[in-house]
Amino acid sequence: MPALRVIKRDEPWRGGALAIVLGALAFSLGAGILMLAAQGKSPVQGAVVLWQGTFGNVFALEDALRKSVPIFLCSLGVAVAFRMQVWNIGAEGQFALGAIGATWAALSFPGLPKIVLLPVMFLAALLAGGLWALIPAWLKLKLKVSEIITTLMLNYIAILLLDYLVFGVWKDPTSFGFPMTPEFSPAAILGPIGGTRLHWGFAVCLVAGVGLWAFFRFTLLGYELKAGGEGARVARYAGLPYGFLVGFVMTVSGALAGLAGCVETSAVLGRLQPSLMAGYGYTAIVVAWLARLEPLPIALASFLLAVLRVGVENLQLEMQIPAAYGMIMEGLILLSVLAGQFFQTFRLGRREG
Amino acid sequence: MNVFKSMGAKLAVFCLGAALTLSLAACGDQKAEQKAADKPAVEAKPAPAADKKIKVGFVYVSPIGDAGYSYAHHQGQKAVAALPFVESSFVESVPEGADSERVITNMARKDFDLVFTTSFGYMDSTLKVAKEFPKVRFMHCSGFKTAENMSNYFGRMYQARYLTGMVAGQMTKKNILGYVAAFPIPEVIRGINAFTLGARSVNPQAQVRVVWTKTWYDPALEKDAAVSLLDVGADVIAQHQDSPGPQEAAQQRGVYSIGYNSDMSAFAPKAHLTAAVWNWAPLYVQTVEEVKNGTWKGGQAIWWGMDKGVVDVAPYGPMVPDAVKAKVEAKRAELKAGTDTVFVGPIKDQAGKERYAAGQKAPDADLLGMTWFVEGVVGTTE
Amino acid sequence: MDWGILVALLAAAVQSGTPILFATLGEMLSEKGGVLNLGVEGMMSVAALAAFLTAYFTGSPWLGFAAGGLAGACLALLHGVICVGFLGNQVVSGLALTILGLGLTHFFGTPYIGLAAPGFSKFAVPGLADLPVLGGILFRQDALVYVSYVLPVAFWFFLQRTRPGLAVRAVGEMPAAVAAAGLHPLRLRLFAAVAGGFLVGLGGAYLSLAYTHLWTNGLSAGRGWIAVALVIFAFWRPGRAVAGAYLFGGVMAFQLRLQATGTNLPSSLLLMLPYALTVLVLALSAWRGRGADAPAALGVNIEPEG
Repeated sequence: MPALRVIKRDEPWRGGALAIVLGALAFSLGAGILMLAAQGKSPVQGAVVLWQGTFGNVFALEDALRKSVPIFLCSLGVAVAFRMQVWNIGAEGQFALGAIGATWAALSFPGLPKIVLLPVMFLAALLAGGLWALIPAWLKLKLKVSEIITTLMLNYIAILLLDYLVFGVWKDPTSFGFPMTPEFSPAAILGPIGGTRLHWGFAVCLVAGVGLWAFFRFTLLGYELKAGGEGARVARYAGLPYGFLVGFVMTVSGALAGLAGCVETSAVLGRLQPSLMAGYGYTAIVVAWLARLEPLPIALASFLLAVLRVGVENLQLEMQIPAAYGMIMEGLILLSVLAGQFFQTFRLGRREG
Repeated sequence: MNVFKSMGAKLAVFCLGAALTLSLAACGDQKAEQKAADKPAVEAKPAPAADKKIKVGFVYVSPIGDAGYSYAHHQGQKAVAALPFVESSFVESVPEGADSERVITNMARKDFDLVFTTSFGYMDSTLKVAKEFPKVRFMHCSGFKTAENMSNYFGRMYQARYLTGMVAGQMTKKNILGYVAAFPIPEVIRGINAFTLGARSVNPQAQVRVVWTKTWYDPALEKDAAVSLLDVGADVIAQHQDSPGPQEAAQQRGVYSIGYNSDMSAFAPKAHLTAAVWNWAPLYVQTVEEVKNGTWKGGQAIWWGMDKGVVDVAPYGPMVPDAVKAKVEAKRAELKAGTDTVFVGPIKDQAGKERYAAGQKAPDADLLGMTWFVEGVVGTTE
Repeated sequence: MDWGILVALLAAAVQSGTPILFATLGEMLSEKGGVLNLGVEGMMSVAALAAFLTAYFTGSPWLGFAAGGLAGACLALLHGVICVGFLGNQVVSGLALTILGLGLTHFFGTPYIGLAAPGFSKFAVPGLADLPVLGGILFRQDALVYVSYVLPVAFWFFLQRTRPGLAVRAVGEMPAAVAAAGLHPLRLRLFAAVAGGFLVGLGGAYLSLAYTHLWTNGLSAGRGWIAVALVIFAFWRPGRAVAGAYLFGGVMAFQLRLQATGTNLPSSLLLMLPYALTVLVLALSAWRGRGADAPAALGVNIEPEG
């Protein structure tokens, strides 16, 4: 019989979250670097190249900031839903719908001044994303169908819908038959901030992040959601019907992902095309979980994950390491964080007798 | 997870032929050409010093091991990397959009002399970076935008398709040819049309049926698509896909197949008649040499055909009779000599309307934007 | 109506549905024990690679098949340890497993792309293959499909008629009762997860040994996620899982054939069919009152006492 037993802590280990994440990162990086050796590459060189492609390089950090914008927004959305244990796996599809909504606005009103068009686009994206998330919410409430499945299926459908639109009615007549919408008019483009490489989507992130943080902090509903736990319990304390809450969190969740879609389409691509879809919706789930569903850690985690992605690209460029390497690292980090989080609530102690 | 489908498998490979300057009446490009014409002096760096290696970068949209599109580009890269004055590296599986912009920018920052971006979807990113880094030279595959330091390039794959169609048309007994295709974009449609024209040039009864898979790379689905065509009676299967799934299906049914991207006979030795293959090495090597000699010019739209060796057909399988080979070889010789009569009229579309009169040659602009099927194709272009 | 084409369509549906069936039953077993495993996609992928490599190096497709199962079981063990041992959130752990699994597959599988391994081919079952209609659909398949015919029955028998099966079901419904009965809920959960993972792995092995005989990246192509959906679609009953898997395979095969016979419907819309259908059937079934029989303790980790 083992001499150890598991004891629940009286209070969660406060400093634990940070220690766990750092420990997980260290473990995963270590394992990952060793894996390079298995492929005949020098682990030391790998570590150096990774450093150079991430923190050792201002450009890389800038790139990572840009990349973290859509991840951050989607992640905020995922966190809102996950706090109520509503498992919204559909951020990817809601992202697509948001892009579609924004594109509709951009293509329908290209002549409007920027000060009007951009908000209209945002609104369209928020609505489209929110509504797409409301479908699984309704199915969950009315028919008790699991949202895990419906949101997932709607992801596939959303992407096919995007394909259908860019191959069909929205196809740019001057694009030689290629599936892409016409380029957005300048009024529909979210431009760069001053002379930097960052675009105004960054500002959108700040607003959304602060807004959500304030919501969690200062409203009763937000407080209860932040406390998390069983959905019905949250409803009881907040004094609101469970059904309303589910609808609310899903709509907000979908709206945020939709907003991300709008920002990416407008600021980065300047038109709608299938290559918009880059898996941000799924990465967002990883990030939200790593960050324990809280806004500030989500900002940090999306940045870190973006940094990792950028660094792995450098590994590809300098050492011809396959692109899949980044996925292995992400998976390992997440799993080790999950394992480590155990120690926030429990500790090991000696078995008596 | 769709994300991984997108990144790793379902990667858009929109290869468009480059439009010739005349067809691009749209302002931006016209200005770029005029600029290039007015200022013949090369904007990019002067030819690197003789002892300094030329840094050449490649950006691929899918894994190089896919035995398909990116694999073909990679063979070209290897030819370039083998040159003594070249230092070359590549990044694979780069999604189009924001990621590609970052990767290309990274290469530019690292003082690469020449960067090849091998997928249509990289067009906007390549242009953006080209404008930011005027000293770096960019070659974009299959797009239609150019800049002073950016040219686009492509190959006349339809010529090879025509030849494979001739083979298929002669080898079929049921006169039903199946075509497993990824996305209804002009390059694919053009290939199907050329295939059909080639088949019907030797067998006017031949009919081509098209099934869209909406993926560049899903071996099992592609195989299923091929089987669905076999079930309606097709006895030759051709593909515009990057995996050998359809080849396998054909072999298992005991019928014939035509490969794509590279010689796929290893996957279906009993079925593989020939394949429409890319050979990027000549184009890549020449480009690099131009850079070395200082004669590289941006703003070009390069569309090379069989005469330059960029496209060709794979060696014929053992089951192809000499008589069939002879007919095809005759046409191949013509194409290699530079006589391109693939899209020369009379050509009717699916509805029976005549698009090109007898003797009329379809202009490149039409070919690049082709979104209709010729007579003899059964299927939609949606 | 051309019976020939219909039979061919249904035969294709059966083949297309088989890997999904293995995976669905595997996930179902895991969930019956209370462990939600969203890592099916990653598991199928790794299993396909393991199966392929084993068959390639040993020359034996059956060894490959077993190796695929083992690979799935190993990944499921990882998930099980994280969730059962470390009380990690099951949803997130499963997702992490998918990411890791797909990454490992691409990373280690790339050198083998394009190689062929000995696999399973179709053959006709003597006698049965000559049955009208059914013979063509069911009995001209490969060996693994025939295995999959037996599997749902074995699955049902195990869960409903054996003591270990009862214990597994119990730990998915009410772990406390299991503990009170003197059994070990944690071990039972782990068993359910690992055994389920084995079945999922068999599904992955099918992809690289029977569906195609080649190794290429991306074989799983989203089928793992479909399997997760189908478990719910099936209301956690093996019989419905069979129907669901073949239905899904059938819709895929159908839209391809519809194209082959020449249709004017846009393919994007046709491709939406399987997914929309899944949601529709789920909704309809729930609406008609047949509630889902989800194991009560599914997804809820068992906390240690004290």
